[in-house]
Formats: sequence, C-alpha cells, structure tokens
Amino acid sequence: MDFEYLIKLLFILLEGMGTSLQVFALTLIFSIPLGMIVAMGKMSKHLIINFPIKVYISIMRGTPLILQLIFIYFGPYYIFNVTYDRFTAAIIAFSINYAAYFAEIFRGGMESMPLGQYEAAAVLGYTKSQTFFRIILPQVVKRVIPASANEVITLIKDTALAQTIGVIELFSLAQKQSSFVFSVMPLFVAGVFYYILNLVVSGTFGYIEKKLNYYR
Amino acid sequence: MAVLEVRNLCKRFGELEVISDISFEVNKGEVLVIIGPSGSGKSTLLRCINRLEKVDGGMISVCGDEMITGYETDKNGVGRPVYASPDVLRRIRLNVGMVFQNFNLFPHFNVLKNIIDAPVSVLKQDKQAAVEKAMALLEKMGLKEKAQAYPCELSGGQQQRVSIARALALNPQILFFDEPTSALDPELTGEILKVIKELAKEKMTMVIVTHEMAFARDVADRVIFMDGGVIVEQGTPAEIFSNTQNERTKAFLKRFSESDL
Amino acid sequence: MKKIISVFLSALVCAAVFAGCAKSNSGADESLKKVKDKGELVLGLDDSFPPMGYRNENNEIVGFDIDVAKEVCTRMGIELKLQPISWDAKEQELNSGNIDCIWNGMSINEERKKAMNLSEPYMKNRMVLVVLKDSGYASKDDLKDKSIGVQNGSSAQEALENSDFAKTVKEIISYDTNVKGFMDLEAKGIDALCVDEVVANNFIVQQNKNYLVLEDSAFADEEYAIGFRKNDQALRDEVQKILSEMKADGKLAEISTKWFGKDVTIVK
Repeated sequence: MDFEYLIKLLFILLEGMGTSLQVFALTLIFSIPLGMIVAMGKMSKHLIINFPIKVYISIMRGTPLILQLIFIYFGPYYIFNVTYDRFTAAIIAFSINYAAYFAEIFRGGMESMPLGQYEAAAVLGYTKSQTFFRIILPQVVKRVIPASANEVITLIKDTALAQTIGVIELFSLAQKQSSFVFSVMPLFVAGVFYYILNLVVSGTFGYIEKKLNYYR
Repeated sequence: MAVLEVRNLCKRFGELEVISDISFEVNKGEVLVIIGPSGSGKSTLLRCINRLEKVDGGMISVCGDEMITGYETDKNGVGRPVYASPDVLRRIRLNVGMVFQNFNLFPHFNVLKNIIDAPVSVLKQDKQAAVEKAMALLEKMGLKEKAQAYPCELSGGQQQRVSIARALALNPQILFFDEPTSALDPELTGEILKVIKELAKEKMTMVIVTHEMAFARDVADRVIFMDGGVIVEQGTPAEIFSNTQNERTKAFLKRFSESDL
Repeated sequence: MKKIISVFLSALVCAAVFAGCAKSNSGADESLKKVKDKGELVLGLDDSFPPMGYRNENNEIVGFDIDVAKEVCTRMGIELKLQPISWDAKEQELNSGNIDCIWNGMSINEERKKAMNLSEPYMKNRMVLVVLKDSGYASKDDLKDKSIGVQNGSSAQEALENSDFAKTVKEIISYDTNVKGFMDLEAKGIDALCVDEVVANNFIVQQNKNYLVLEDSAFADEEYAIGFRKNDQALRDEVQKILSEMKADGKLAEISTKWFGKDVTIVK
C-alpha cells in the first residue's frame, strides 16, 4: 500500500463524499419543510387529513429505507412504464423517509408546548399565524434540536444506502477500491471521512444548542 | 358606566355545569374581587369572558360591545353561541387584559421584548414609543434594571410583575387577575399585592380572583362569593367579611385564620 | 436484508409480468436501431469485480469485459457508456431500460436464461478453493470438517452449496465481498475460500501472497455470457457477430492475453 496510492484513494473518496454530501444536503432541504407540513397534518382533527398521514408515517418508519429506495426508483417503471434519474430517485426516497421521522419529532415538540403560551398570546391579541411564528415556532425549534441532531447524524450514515440504486457515493467507491486492492483499508479511510463529517455536524448542532441556551 | 356586563352566563363541561346563570357588572374604576373555594368556577368565569372557553348561555358586553349576538341550536338541539364579528371581538380582546396564575411569559423573549412585542406586532405601535412606555411600566414595577433579562433569570414575583406590565402595555379598559399569587412562595406574594393596590389607587378597573382574604378586604370595592358555579353572596368587603348572614359564606371564611383577616 | 430485497424484487417482477401482458407487442425489433440512434450502448456492471470490470486506482472503470465491450462499440460506431449498478437489482435495471446489457463476468444459469436474452458463452470459469500456502492443505480431502468461506449471492456460493463436497465440511461462512473472505482466510477464521478461478488467479498474481489454489479443487464448470433484454434479439445478434469477427481477426486473443496471459475466450 504505497503512499502514491493513498493520495489517489483520498481523491477518489473525496469525489464520493461530494455525492454523499449532495444527497445529505438536498435531503435536509426537502425533508425538514415537508416534515413540518406532515406534522401539522398529523395534528389535524380531520380524519381525511390525519389518517393518510398516519399510514404514510407508519409505512416510512415500518419498512427498511433500502426497500423504499428500490420502490421509488423501479416502481414507476412497473406502474407507469417510465424511468428517471437515479440520483433524483435517491433524493425523493430519502426526503420522504426522513420527513416522516422529522414530522414525529416536530409533532412531539409542538405538543410539548404548554397551553399557557397559546392562551397568553390569545389574550394579547396575536393572530393565529403571529402566535405560531412569533411565539410557538421559535420555542419548538429549541425543543426539537437535540432529537433532530440525532436524525441528521443518522442521515449522513444512511446516504451509503443510495448505492442500492446505483448512485456512486462515498461508501460504494470505498467498496470498489477495496475490491481493487483486496484490502479493507479503503473502507477504514471512508469510515474516517464519515466520522469527520459527523464531527462537523454534531459540532454545529452543539453550537446551535449553546446559542439557544440563552433561555430555559 | 359599566365596563363589563355579564348576564345569565352558563358554562358546562360535558354534563357538569360549572357556571350557572351568573350575572354581575363592573363599573369604571371599580375593583371587584371574586372569592370562593377551589372548583367553584371563579377561574372559568374569567376564561369565558376572555374567550379562552366557549360559553353555553348568557350575554357578555365589554365597554358597550356585545360579545355574543345570539344563540343557534344545532341538529342535536344544543344551543351554541354566535359570536360577534372579528372586528368587535378584536376590540373586546384589546380592552380586556389578563394576568395568569402561572405568568405565561414568553421565555424566548427578554423582559422588554415580552412587553413591547404585542404593542408593536399587534397594535402596530411605533417601536420607540412602545419601548418608552415599557420602560415607564418597568420602572413602576421596580424592574427597570431587568429590562434585558430573560424570564428564567427572574424570581416568580418579578415574573408576575413583568406579566402585569405586559398586560398594561396594551392599555386595557379592564384587567383580570386569575389567582396572581397562587404560584408564588408566600414571601413573594406581598410584592404583587402591593402592585395591584397601586393600580387600584390609580382607578384601574380590575376583576381579581384570589385566595388572599386580607388583601381582598383591603383592595376590593365589591366582593363576590362564588360556590358551586353560582354567586352565593355579593356586597362591600365589610358586608362580606364582617357581617355576613349567609351560612356558606361563614363556613368558607372560617377556614381562614383571624390573622389573615 | 437480502431476503427482504429478493421478496420485494420478486413482487416487482410479478408486477412486470402483468405489465408485460398488458402491453401489446410492438412488432418489429428496434433494439439495434435504438442503440445506434442514441449513439451509445449502456453497459451495466457491478464495478467491483476484478479483473472483469472494476475501478482502478484512478477511479476509472477497467477490466477484460470493458476492453472487449469498448472494441465492440468502436466497431459498431457508437460510444460505450458504463453504468454501475447494484448487482442485486440487475434484472430491474435491465428491464426498466436503464441499461442495455449486463456484461460483467456473469455466469450462465437457468434463471438468467429465463430472465434475459443471453449471448453465446465467451469464457469458461470454474470454482476453485484457495488456501494459505503454509496451511499444509494439499487437496480437497484435507478440508473435511473445516470451515469454508464464500461470497454471498455469488454463483460460487450456489455451486458450493449444491456440491457433495459441501456435505463433508464443518460449516460454510458467507461474506458480502470476496475481499472480506480473503481477509478472514488470512486471519485463519476460515480454512479455505471458494471463489471464481478468474478472481483467484487475479488476486494471487496481484497480491503476490502466499495463497494456493488446490489442484483438485476445481468444480462446477460454468460459462460467462452477456445478458440482454428478452426482446432485444437484433442487438444481441449484432454484438455476437462482432465478437466472432474479433475472435477471427485475433483482437479478442490480444485483449485476453493482456488480462490473463493467454487466450481464454471460447467465442466461435
């Protein structure tokens, strides 16, 4: 295992990390707002809204993500006879899966808000949307940060599942290099990459939590 | 002139009638104290007037605005109130201030922001003017130096004073207190009672639900004794506390030691 | 996990069969024309199978199959596009049209014959047992009551489990990649590893390690072929024709020599 190869390996894995980071970032961008909408839907009193959402959340949380990836990518061909980009499919699958988990976290955060906050806002004349955006949401954000951090860290590791539908990301490149050099060394190097990524993420969340600690 | 008028108010929780046929008035500058055992419906009464609970019967008017325009019966034959237009409800809302037992300050806002946020974002007041008014209120509450502090950094008594200032910042015509000292340590109740007495002196119209009998006698222009969802007796403090002829009132007041009175 | 996937994939295949029934046969076979019109042949592979198709230290996909496919495409006047896929999903990738063929040292078996339109075999392969040189094992018989490793889901696994030899061993341990199997062999977690001969030869040459292919161990002769969609007869025939030309003019032998030191191809 010479030094020259190690440098080459690092560049190959960096390239893979680029794809993994894209999956990671796009999933967060889509799943967090979607999760909020889903959380609202689940808290809705109308059966027509909350029942399908309950089913959706239960399927997303009750089946393996790897299966959802396969279904999202190959399903449309068998149902509508259309094929599409595998990267797009990965983003869709990750987004709707993580939205379900985020939705439950957000719902927990919303429901943990004391009723007194709503009542105080009501007697002061805040409208419903003012109450939500000025009073409730900022406090819910603080409440859901720790649980969300867990999900985000899991997502980094879950991006490796994108290879199921042929997306060439960090871990799959490491596996291919591992077959090439007949050594697990590239996998360990990939592990270091994931670890560093997670250090950055947990550091960021730690910072946000500290920033929000100005009140209890 | 009556600032608040309540006529034949009824409220049920399921089968249980918690308020039955209550009527009273509060005139401008008057301090009305409502006393009574726990579960007698005192807090629910305030919450109905504040629209934190829906009523099941009766009329409420604040500064001449009728809150309920009538009643309609649904398909099960149950009467439901028809509330006035949003404009009227909003006017009533802003005319009535409320101080909660648990303060309910907004923990993510500092003291100053807690006070100015509603005037600025609800009443669209100029921020500078709102800050000046808030600082004046804080000075009155003896909390000027706490303007930048967060609620979690304050004692319970200080938090309750901030919540009074928050309610006053909207210039309400009438201010409700729902057991304002019940969540406080005994040594902190004094500072709140002092503030309320101060407001009474300034002829603020107030309705106060409290268990502090000595304070009630001291500050009230009129006292209502409620039990089991009805008004058992009402009158001046002297009539209620010293000369009551009503057995239920007597029994209730007996639980409080002489030193309290 | 593999089981769940295969159940799920079978469900998809069933759905595909129904969908296939619903679709009317569009008559003429346009597969060759389609490929020529778009100017590229999309080759699906699991790019972790040295020396047939894998990524080298520059992250380029290379290998014996790749070199042959490139030459075929050049002769067809089109580009070769390599599409890495998950091996578990190869039938779906092919049927859904994401790839035009599977060309990746794929062994012929009955299921694949049914699911795909296979080319004529182009290369022979056998399963062999690899042991450590200093282990003292010299023949298959020495491995009685020993632990044997194999790649999960590979044709080596299928061949091993169906052989009489399997009944004499202590246990069969499977790994998701051959690399892990070799690692375990090195660590003496297993006594022998059952792999494709081409994999074994490539690994021993490349690693220059003290491994030994047991002389009498070869079993389950099998052949590699290229897989096309069931209906893509014209495309399959064109590729087959060019392979025969390459065999005749010596190009195939040249590529084979580069990768295996001699001509191992069996194209007619």
